[in-house]
Amino acid sequence: MSEEKDQVLVKRTLRGDRKAFEMIVRKYHQPLLNYVGRMVGERELALDFTQDVFARAYASLRSYAPQFKFSTWLFKIASNLIIDHWRKKKLPTFSLNEPLGSDEDGLTLDVPDDEPGIGRKFELAEIGRRIEGALEELPGPLRELFVWRHINELSYEEMAEIKGLPVGTIKNRVFQAKEMLRRTLQEMS
Amino acid sequence: MSCLTIRDIYEYIEGGLSRERNHELERHLSFCPACRRAVEERRLIAEAASGLTPFAAPDDFTDRVMTRVALLKIKRPAWLIILLTATAGLAVFSLLLMASGGSLLGLVAGASHSFWGFLKTGAVFTAKAATLLSLAVKTLRPLLEAGTKGLSMLTSLVHPGFQALILILALGAAVSLFLGMRKKLSLGD
Repeated sequence: MSEEKDQVLVKRTLRGDRKAFEMIVRKYHQPLLNYVGRMVGERELALDFTQDVFARAYASLRSYAPQFKFSTWLFKIASNLIIDHWRKKKLPTFSLNEPLGSDEDGLTLDVPDDEPGIGRKFELAEIGRRIEGALEELPGPLRELFVWRHINELSYEEMAEIKGLPVGTIKNRVFQAKEMLRRTLQEMS
Repeated sequence: MSCLTIRDIYEYIEGGLSRERNHELERHLSFCPACRRAVEERRLIAEAASGLTPFAAPDDFTDRVMTRVALLKIKRPAWLIILLTATAGLAVFSLLLMASGGSLLGLVAGASHSFWGFLKTGAVFTAKAATLLSLAVKTLRPLLEAGTKGLSMLTSLVHPGFQALILILALGAAVSLFLGMRKKLSLGD
């Protein structure tokens, strides 16, 4: 289904056609649930949150600007909802604009020669299972980017649009999230 | 070329490098087993992450969302509310004005009249000031010229020593005149 079709569905919904919004829900509930689920951890909570995302999107559909992709608009609503949830639960969070440490992200380091490889120890399915566990160890903002990139397969441009940050910053943070997750996997094995 | 940095590896896996840089990295990878292992490892993790099991949504998820949405109304965006409020306010103001015997057109005409009146007064004042200034220049210029001519003639006739004496006496007279005037006008210290 193309972006143009999304715009048509939005227009139809605004004219009062609820069936059009139902089509939007059918199209986007799975990617949103995959994202929200990995962010909040609990299945029931993830289902509630995803419902909230659609309810908020419906109520504020008139404020959607058609020059942006509809999917990125939905992810932005979801992301704001999750940030609110983190704040309420007083979970640690930070701005992706802030530097994280003196070495920044370790991305400029050369590859160490004697690293034990995870790939040689486990099968692909086992690595997948371990990634689920390692994801929970990642700081929220980095986990979000990792999920968007690898599970939702969003482009860097789409992520930059959602977060309102430059593409370069987002790319850096995604690489940083990947590297942090790999180190966690190493520690876990 | 030295070993790859971690950023190089991620850029290489994602195909984000220029053709030249890509060739350069591939040449290095062909003889560096450590870098090759590092690339393979990160590629494997990315592959495993992309194949993670999706969060399963219940069959009635869309129905649940639509039941919730049925209770909602699509809100008007804030800018539209502001515009509508301003229009309503203007309409109420006009009605009140008409009820009080005035008219909106009269008010507009009054405001316009004051504006033109202000503009007219300003223009007349500027023209008068310009005329006065040019008259003053015309009158004072010959007087100043005659004064300087007379002074130069006088200085050519009088001995320089006597000129200095006259200057000192004139300065003394000016100072005593100033002090006398200050006392008379009670200017104080």
